[in-house]
Amino acid sequence: MLLPTFEFHEPLSIKDALKLKKSLGEDAKLLAGGTDLLVHLKKKLITTNNLISLSGIKALSLITKEKNAVIIGSCTTMTQLSSTPIIQKNFPALKAGCDNLGTHLIRNRATIGGNACNASPAGDTLPALLIYDALALLETSDKKREIPMADFFTGPGKSCIQPDEILTGFRLPIPGKNSGAHYIQLGKRKSSEINLVNVAAFLKYDPDTKKIIDARIALGSVAATPIRSPKAESTLMGQTPEEACFFAAGEMARREDCHPIDDFRGSARYRQAMVGVLTKRTLTRAYELARSACI
Amino acid sequence: MKKIIRLTINNQSHEIAVEPNLTLADMLRYQLALTGTKKGCDTGDCGACTVIMDGNAVNSCLVLAVQANGSVIETIEGLTTAEGLAPLQEAFVEKGAIQCGFCSPGMILSAKNLLDKNPNPSEQEIREGISGNLCRCTGYQKIFEAIESQSS
Amino acid sequence: MNKFDVISTRAHRIDTPDKATGQAMFTDDLCRPGQLYGVLLQSPHPHARILSIDTSKAVNLPGVKSVITHEQAGYIKYGVSPARYDETVFAIDKVRYVGDEIAAVAAVSLDIALKALSLIKVKYELLPAVFTVEDATKKGAPQLHENSPGNLCAEVHQEFGDVAAALKTCDIIKTSTMKNKRQDGAFIEMQGCLAEFDNRGLLTLVSSTQVPHYVQRTVAMVLGMDVGKVRVKKPYVGAGFGIKAAACPMELACCILARETKKPVKMNFTREQVFMYSRARHQFTHTITTGAKKDGTLMAIKHECCLDGGAYTSFGIATVYYTGSLLGGPYKIANMSYDGKRVYNNKPACGAQRGHGAVIARALFEQQMDMIAEEIGMDPMELRIKNMMDTGDTTCNDLNMSSFGMSECIEAVRIGSNWDKKKGNMPRGKGIGMACGFFVSGAGYPIYRSDTYHGTVIIKLTEDGGTALVYTASAEIGQGSDTAFAMIAAEALGIPLDNVRLASGDTDMGVDLGAYSSRQTLMTGHAVKQAADHAKTQVLEVLAEQLLVPLEKLDIKKGFIEFAGDTPDFSALRTRYIKEHRGWIDNPDSKKLTFKEASRIAFLEKGSIVGTGKYKPHNLGGKFKGAAVGTSPAYGCSAQVAEVTVDMETGQVTIDNITDAHDCGKAINLTAVEGQMEGSVSMGIGEAMHEEVIFNDKGQVLNNDLAEYKIVTSVDMPRVKTIVVESCEPNGPYGAKEVGEGAIMPTIPAILNAVYNATGVRINELPLTPERVFFAIQDYKAKMAK
Repeated sequence: MLLPTFEFHEPLSIKDALKLKKSLGEDAKLLAGGTDLLVHLKKKLITTNNLISLSGIKALSLITKEKNAVIIGSCTTMTQLSSTPIIQKNFPALKAGCDNLGTHLIRNRATIGGNACNASPAGDTLPALLIYDALALLETSDKKREIPMADFFTGPGKSCIQPDEILTGFRLPIPGKNSGAHYIQLGKRKSSEINLVNVAAFLKYDPDTKKIIDARIALGSVAATPIRSPKAESTLMGQTPEEACFFAAGEMARREDCHPIDDFRGSARYRQAMVGVLTKRTLTRAYELARSACI
Repeated sequence: MKKIIRLTINNQSHEIAVEPNLTLADMLRYQLALTGTKKGCDTGDCGACTVIMDGNAVNSCLVLAVQANGSVIETIEGLTTAEGLAPLQEAFVEKGAIQCGFCSPGMILSAKNLLDKNPNPSEQEIREGISGNLCRCTGYQKIFEAIESQSS
Repeated sequence: MNKFDVISTRAHRIDTPDKATGQAMFTDDLCRPGQLYGVLLQSPHPHARILSIDTSKAVNLPGVKSVITHEQAGYIKYGVSPARYDETVFAIDKVRYVGDEIAAVAAVSLDIALKALSLIKVKYELLPAVFTVEDATKKGAPQLHENSPGNLCAEVHQEFGDVAAALKTCDIIKTSTMKNKRQDGAFIEMQGCLAEFDNRGLLTLVSSTQVPHYVQRTVAMVLGMDVGKVRVKKPYVGAGFGIKAAACPMELACCILARETKKPVKMNFTREQVFMYSRARHQFTHTITTGAKKDGTLMAIKHECCLDGGAYTSFGIATVYYTGSLLGGPYKIANMSYDGKRVYNNKPACGAQRGHGAVIARALFEQQMDMIAEEIGMDPMELRIKNMMDTGDTTCNDLNMSSFGMSECIEAVRIGSNWDKKKGNMPRGKGIGMACGFFVSGAGYPIYRSDTYHGTVIIKLTEDGGTALVYTASAEIGQGSDTAFAMIAAEALGIPLDNVRLASGDTDMGVDLGAYSSRQTLMTGHAVKQAADHAKTQVLEVLAEQLLVPLEKLDIKKGFIEFAGDTPDFSALRTRYIKEHRGWIDNPDSKKLTFKEASRIAFLEKGSIVGTGKYKPHNLGGKFKGAAVGTSPAYGCSAQVAEVTVDMETGQVTIDNITDAHDCGKAINLTAVEGQMEGSVSMGIGEAMHEEVIFNDKGQVLNNDLAEYKIVTSVDMPRVKTIVVESCEPNGPYGAKEVGEGAIMPTIPAILNAVYNATGVRINELPLTPERVFFAIQDYKAKMAK
């Protein structure tokens, strides 16, 4: 298979990249890990005359700690994230997402920014970004803005990134004590899967009252974008964390919060049923992690 | 327009003019005749084109040659030493881990990369460490055995 | 103790050091000076009349050297079986599936060739298309082929014994239906080829094929050339599993482009084209009724099957016969009927794949065995052993089990899996199941009816003595045949494996039908052994003459000459050898005369020592129509136990363990036998669990890559306990027979029986995706609740 012909640009700074993006116009595509983009180009699903590689911009591949947050550069790879202690410690659901994406070969190239920009409803890191209340960091040549991930996706393959903007990274607030999070996905086989359903959940509880004080659930592959599950979340608030309420939250997510479609990978009916099961299981595990972190 | 790239392949430095749309796999195979790197899908699904790039195993069909500028690449041809097959290659021969052999170069490089990073992998880590390298012949069993035999 | 010196060991394969280092050359690794790049124009429509093809713009594109359509390729029909040649290289009047070949281009670069393709203008008149057996067989359905009314490609009606009468005597009758999904071979090396004419008109085609011989004949026939002017060579091949077992349109187009341009032309399929070409396992829909007495005695099988064939016949006739014939064993059944049909439709043609024709029939029947066992309260293994054929028995359809370690296989997996302890004692959600199966060791006839030898082999001893060169046209495609034949040659000659070199896969080396129907070990193996014996005898005859020792007192073992009784004085021979060898420092000083000395002396006396061997099967049974499909010189058999965990909430099935025993006769190379068994299991698991080619309503494959067509990965594959059971096959070289295909037979039903054991639910459609299993459990729960 041949790639179409294009010009290759390799800016060394975000500033230069933004300049190029502006001058080359909408047709220019940003190249990060390339694990999706190059496949789409080979299969002629997209075309471009200009590829702007971001690999030369060191700042985009950094993971840095701020006071109460971690900044993840958009060109950080899955492998890099998964093996970084600060991610392992504070964002286990994100690590689980990274570990599940593609294969070990893909994970060595695929980036978190690429996963977000690709905006697949089934994207493996996206539910975790949603439940950690991540902010997408966007930059144009003259301004920066931060968008909650809950507002980032606008449709399958679509996001709110403007043509002159670059996604430079994500800000993830470090979850407080007494919290835990987890991510589960379901596919036909156990590796290299395009998820049938994927769910991430975050729970925080009050160690004194033993009640849930914060709950976030994100569902993948069951709507046009990865989504939060607000009704299921609200059923959890103030509840005692135990199987019955996790089951009830799963049922609510299944009935009220998801809108799957049929495709050749699976039926809407099945995906919907699995939202219930996976939500319950993810919550159960998130709570176990919250509790064990507390002990 | 062609670009000049400089990179190290199997401990040898190269300066090569490449078209921007040439993949690393095609450059290795068709420009440098390093045909040990195989192509089984060209879309990053099979792992036959695995090479080690700056210490990480990657699908060379999903890396542009221009992206490899400045990097250090190991291909299957680089494993063999003056003494002959590397111990990992010997283990693949010894355990019967090779049948048609088309996935073997990529498989061996993934295994090498795994053992370089984690000299004593668990069974699950071995499975994960070659999960991107599809083999249709062996059922992977003898491949596990070969990799296990090389863990310290 | 091993009475053999070379075979029956774990010798390292002779091809794998080169494969481990990347030195082994596959088709696309080769290139020729000045080679052109060829590409195919394929139909975007599932069914359309071709009104016109305009190649003028493509021809005029700079860099394009040739554009060919049916005008250059001609009208000669070809296919797999001469009775059903229904393909032409390029579509003439109409296209019948998305991917049907229309034209080809050769250009100086792939880029230009692809550009030229886009400049070819084809005008189509779209025709209504049919994609299922049901739609294709409806009254008034669009017809694919003029001479096949009702889109019926082939049908078979057989009855052995009296099924209706036998069923009347049965206490238990089980009827059930099952269907699988169309498979893809998913070998990792995509098909490729390189064709070149020399200046005397010899065509050499290098191709990624399992069958150089058949490709040679087809190329010669279609190009109108003498077979002697066509040479087909296969370098290393990245597996085939049946799909590469016939000439493909790309190979033919490549040869025509080479003829038109007088340049070497290289062509490759993309992965998408591998799916478009297809030719893998059919989708089968079986209904089987099995009758038994209440003591478990099997009485009759009534079998109906419909094959979703695709646009052309390919292997289809053989497939539809195999589907029926291989239910004849391994159990004693006196009454069996079979009604099979294969239907054309506007999808790519299906063909042969590992376990040709028989896998899904076996998958359904072995479940019925379990149903019967459950109903009469008998252990499934006991029921199978009770009905098992004995060595030497012949099935009602004339398959003779000349060696038969089936019961030993069952016993091996019973112990190996700890069956007695586990069966009936697994918690809900966990299950154990078993099944049996068997397969041919080659077919009785070539695909074209002929009295030809199925394999010829030449062994030449090097003139300096010491090394044997084996020349065979057989096809090493990954299964290990080169090593098996080198080992057989070494064993028969009495020399170490290191002293044997082997060249294969080249039609110039003789006749060999190639790698399909698990034929090579037995058939080519025979020819190798015969050629080795022939060469050896010639050496020993010279020795007998020179040393005045009776021939029957001479033998060769481990590279040395053995004398029965006293060793004669051979110093004169040694002196002569050493004189020949003046200046060298490795002169023999062993107490025994070496093979090297002996074969050098033999050369000095007689010239080149060349041994020849040949094989064709003896007259196999069966006078009825279709008897040639299923009858074989020998049958390999196997039993497997699968253990599974079913997630009752999601329907996800995890295969925890497989225990696999296979009777391969004498194992030539134990490691290679295990490798075939493990590979078969992984392919069976893929088909059982997640492999299916999915089409949209326009006849296009939706999952035409290895991300969405899901073969087993390293993470899905369970550990397999592999047990080699050896019998002695009287019709096999050193008692050897097949392993490459029989070993897939029990995998799917063993898994299905285990899933039933875990869930109480029988699932009659593959693959066992989480969704299918989940809803089957839900439906079952709902039924139980009523």
